[in-house]
Amino acid sequence: MAEGKNLYETVIVTSAKLGEEGSAALVERFKNLIAEHGTVKTVDDWGKRRFAYPIQKQTEGYYTLINFESGPEFTAELDRRYKITDGILRTLIVKLDPRHLVERKPQKAQKAEEGAIDVEAIAQEAMGVVAEPAPAQD
Amino acid sequence: MADRPEREIRRGRKGRKKVCSFCVDRAEFIDYKDVAKLRRFISERGKILPRRVTGTCARHQRALTIAIKRARHLALLPYTSD
Repeated sequence: MAEGKNLYETVIVTSAKLGEEGSAALVERFKNLIAEHGTVKTVDDWGKRRFAYPIQKQTEGYYTLINFESGPEFTAELDRRYKITDGILRTLIVKLDPRHLVERKPQKAQKAEEGAIDVEAIAQEAMGVVAEPAPAQD
Repeated sequence: MADRPEREIRRGRKGRKKVCSFCVDRAEFIDYKDVAKLRRFISERGKILPRRVTGTCARHQRALTIAIKRARHLALLPYTSD
């Protein structure tokens, strides 16, 4: 299928200290960076959220989710940029499995196959159980 | 099975079998962003609940563990809480 290109999802958590505009500007920079090496699919701005635990003594930050498509070599570069950028508290890059996006159909086929195997296995087991006691009695 | 008959009998104490909630939903993928759902699988202290408590199947427990750890990294879930 689509060789060389993968679907990725990345979350950027920026410091609340940057303010709304500062954070948006930072995210915009990364959007452009991603666009240079691939294609940005969707951007989801979660807004300001409280952290479950303090990060660098801060209690909240702005979350942005970006879905994009690119070659596998780009993620390392993106990660490197994340690490050297101030104001970014947390990031995550996850490769998306296209099977989970298409979904369902292959699962059904698999189920049918499994069912067939199960019946066979049960039949075999039954035969074995029947066959076994006979020689034991002799 | 055959070598532990007492276990088999005792298991029917209440007749309730736990079913993996992800299998029921036919979930293929457990989303680390779905905090509300993940919260059901962590204890009050933030620990990941074992399979024997939640009834999650092995396959989904593995996926769940990864999802929870990703959520923790992003501070969506706590590593620990008191």
